Amino acid sequence: MLHGRVLSSPYAHACVKRIDATAAEAIGAVVITFNDIPSVRYNERIITIPSVLHKDHYVLADKVRRMGEAVAAVAAETEELAEKAVRAIKVEYDVLPVLTDPIKAMKPGATPIYDTVLWGENEIEIEHNIACARSIEQGDVDRAFAEADVVVEGTFNLSKVYHAQMETKSAICRPEPNGGLTVWPTTQSIHNVRILLGQIFDIPLSKVNVKRVPIGGTFGSSIQMNPPIPICAALALKAHRPVKLTLTREEDAHDHTRYGEQIHLQLAAKKDGTLTGAKMEAIVDIGAHNIQAYSFLGVTVGWLVSLYKIPNVRYHGTAVYTNKAPSCAMQGFGNPQVTFATESLIEELAEKLDIDSLELRLKNYVGLGDTFWGQGPLVRSIVESDGVPELLHRGAEAIGWSDRPKSGSGTGRFRSGIGLGRGFHTSSAGAPQPGDVIDFSGAMVKLNVDGSVDVITALMDHGGGTLEALNRIVSEALCVPLDKVNMAPAETCSTVYDCVTHATRGVYAGGGAVLKAARTLREEILTTAAHYLNVQAHALTLKLNKDLEQGVVYTPSIPDRTMTLSELATRCWSESWKTIAAVESYRPVNCPPAYVTVFVEVKVDTWTGLVHTVKAVMGSDCGTVICPAMAIGQLEGGLSKGAGYALYESNAWSTDGQLVSGGYWIDSKTSGISETPHIDAFTAGFAHTYEPSGPFGAKGIGEAAINPVAAAYANAIHNAIGIRFYELPITPEKVLIALKKKERIHG
Amino acid sequence: MKAKAITLNVNGRRHQVTLFPNVTLLEALRDLSYTDVKNGCEKGDCGACAVELNGKVINSCLVLAWQADGAQILTNAGLGTMESPHPLQEAFADAGAVQCGYCSSGMIMAAKALLDENPNPSETEIREAISGNLCRCTGYTQIVNAVQMAAEKMMQQRAQE
Repeated sequence: MLHGRVLSSPYAHACVKRIDATAAEAIGAVVITFNDIPSVRYNERIITIPSVLHKDHYVLADKVRRMGEAVAAVAAETEELAEKAVRAIKVEYDVLPVLTDPIKAMKPGATPIYDTVLWGENEIEIEHNIACARSIEQGDVDRAFAEADVVVEGTFNLSKVYHAQMETKSAICRPEPNGGLTVWPTTQSIHNVRILLGQIFDIPLSKVNVKRVPIGGTFGSSIQMNPPIPICAALALKAHRPVKLTLTREEDAHDHTRYGEQIHLQLAAKKDGTLTGAKMEAIVDIGAHNIQAYSFLGVTVGWLVSLYKIPNVRYHGTAVYTNKAPSCAMQGFGNPQVTFATESLIEELAEKLDIDSLELRLKNYVGLGDTFWGQGPLVRSIVESDGVPELLHRGAEAIGWSDRPKSGSGTGRFRSGIGLGRGFHTSSAGAPQPGDVIDFSGAMVKLNVDGSVDVITALMDHGGGTLEALNRIVSEALCVPLDKVNMAPAETCSTVYDCVTHATRGVYAGGGAVLKAARTLREEILTTAAHYLNVQAHALTLKLNKDLEQGVVYTPSIPDRTMTLSELATRCWSESWKTIAAVESYRPVNCPPAYVTVFVEVKVDTWTGLVHTVKAVMGSDCGTVICPAMAIGQLEGGLSKGAGYALYESNAWSTDGQLVSGGYWIDSKTSGISETPHIDAFTAGFAHTYEPSGPFGAKGIGEAAINPVAAAYANAIHNAIGIRFYELPITPEKVLIALKKKERIHG
Repeated sequence: MKAKAITLNVNGRRHQVTLFPNVTLLEALRDLSYTDVKNGCEKGDCGACAVELNGKVINSCLVLAWQADGAQILTNAGLGTMESPHPLQEAFADAGAVQCGYCSSGMIMAAKALLDENPNPSETEIREAISGNLCRCTGYTQIVNAVQMAAEKMMQQRAQE
């Protein structure tokens, strides 16, 4: 196997004038540049439907738009030789002005980052570096604001933080004798990688086989096909040898982040606290590539109107290119940003109206029976399970909500405060009609001659326990012991399509698919057994026989008409009849909200500006809890990453487009255990709900766990020191500056 | 400089390898298929590559393979087997301390180093011991729980012996 390395641009914005790879080739490396790759522009994330998909990416760049973008790549016998070869390549650049601020990037005269991109199949011009924009309006907003008793507003700045998944992006590609490729990538969707590689390299999909491998976390950063995958494929195809390409940590840190965003939000309400209107403007820093900005702009307002019932809304969102790492989904896909703004303003509104903010939330939240369109205007469904009141009341009691101090009343060096944030995430992007987002799953289930069951799905597991949950769903549906249900290794040539494991959809939608297949298999089992037992199929049922450690088919009224699943499958086999198997595709027609509430108690050190977490109480409404230990772990992880987003992680860029952290992990302030609350300070609990549309009543959990965390911290800090922060992260420096400013004004 | 033949004793097995002086112990171990040793950053930031070198836990990305010539190296895979896991491995699985699993090997080695010296650590001592290991999935809580569970079990085992 050859080792690949990319030649990363040392500039954040430059045209590649000339590349001389002679010296690299002379030392035995296979080299690819822009001239060697197919001239196919693509979007690395193909979840948005093709007709509104923006495409601005090539496998290698002829114009670099961010620091570290790959302009060439090499493959060589050893990693060291590959590194030598990369350094031997000479590149001449025409260096261009760097734009790191989206507001400046939109100004007239700003250097264009793109001239044109493809939108669907049409080439469109990019003006003022605006990748796309969306306006969405419902109701009579002007009237709502004219008739409002109170309006609150704020401009919120949300940082473009790094996913910091433990494993950097990587791929191994092996060219096959038939002209095809076998690929082992870090991805959340083996099928989308297959489709993209087939399209880019013009290989029939039947010859592109992408394998599922365990991956070291992702948090959304591998929804899109990561750059090393097609680069590695191009190298392997040119070298006619298998190639491995892994990004270094610095390369990875320049490759993907959460969307940075400025949100201006206004909320209008009546004296009794009824929300009547909202105006929202979002300026979204998408970085160097448009990975999914169009749907991001749609969900941004979707999160707002699905948090609270706001009948009149005016929204405008603008997605702007900058010379920074491309923004993509990161646990929440815009939801932590919008929830931070909304939950901050809800607290301000409550203060203005002198209403308990918890009561204000209960009065206005989108709950049971309400229409819900978190995933954008076309993804509407009705809420059928709602644990919000239970979570709010239980959490309030656990944290001592009613005893919290009046905001800013504390004195002395250490000042304590309690804050609340509530939020949700959609379980999948399912809806009765197709939307602008592709969302469906597929699964096969097959009964083996020993009574064990294979589950075959292209779903991924990034550490949340998704595949374990799927095994449990099949075990329950088929009355087969859990240890006899096996999640088969997956590859694209032998699984049916599954869109992506993202959007908090693994258990809900992926689980829905395996349950649908398991139920079909169950019917097949009963029909086949009816033939052997000479009874009507609908008189038969299944149960788990614990003594035999397997499922049995039986009819309650005639006890001797029974056979084990092993006997049934063995007869089908030995009599040369058939395999009992089922395959299904499943489109969820809902995307039920997985609600989460977070109460935190903080202690602010007014000497150092440090914010300590004294206590955190998290509550989750994920419907039926399929894997309790893993579900609790999702909440704890959400708190950890959420606290990092709220307090530490900034991921700032210098004006020349370099990461201030240089891609060093410690300098980008990824939360370590020192920043995490002690274990007895953290409690988590689940609401007692059942989601009618979910597998055995389950909803999702993953992204919901982080969405309200930053807001809870900001509200707790406000409660402690009477200062509201509109910008993340709320670092000790910012706290100290704000305290000094407050002292000057009031002191 | 030229390559040199060195001996790496890994998990009780002896390997003779010829390596250039710039090869890190992390690279050498992974090339010998000890892929339980993970590469997270290659700068000592994350602890995913932690192994025991002559009884002391180190980040193998910060040690050159030549420096480990003749030394005894223990990785997470050498601690136990599926049939007979180390109490820490068992506790990590039981407590839900593993999500994506990428940090687990390094975490377990850091925790083992602690328990070797301090069989009954406080939570603060556990936190200190694993403060050089990053985890992005779990929020660390179940990892602390797992180390406490393992410490208890190991103390019980010693009491029975």
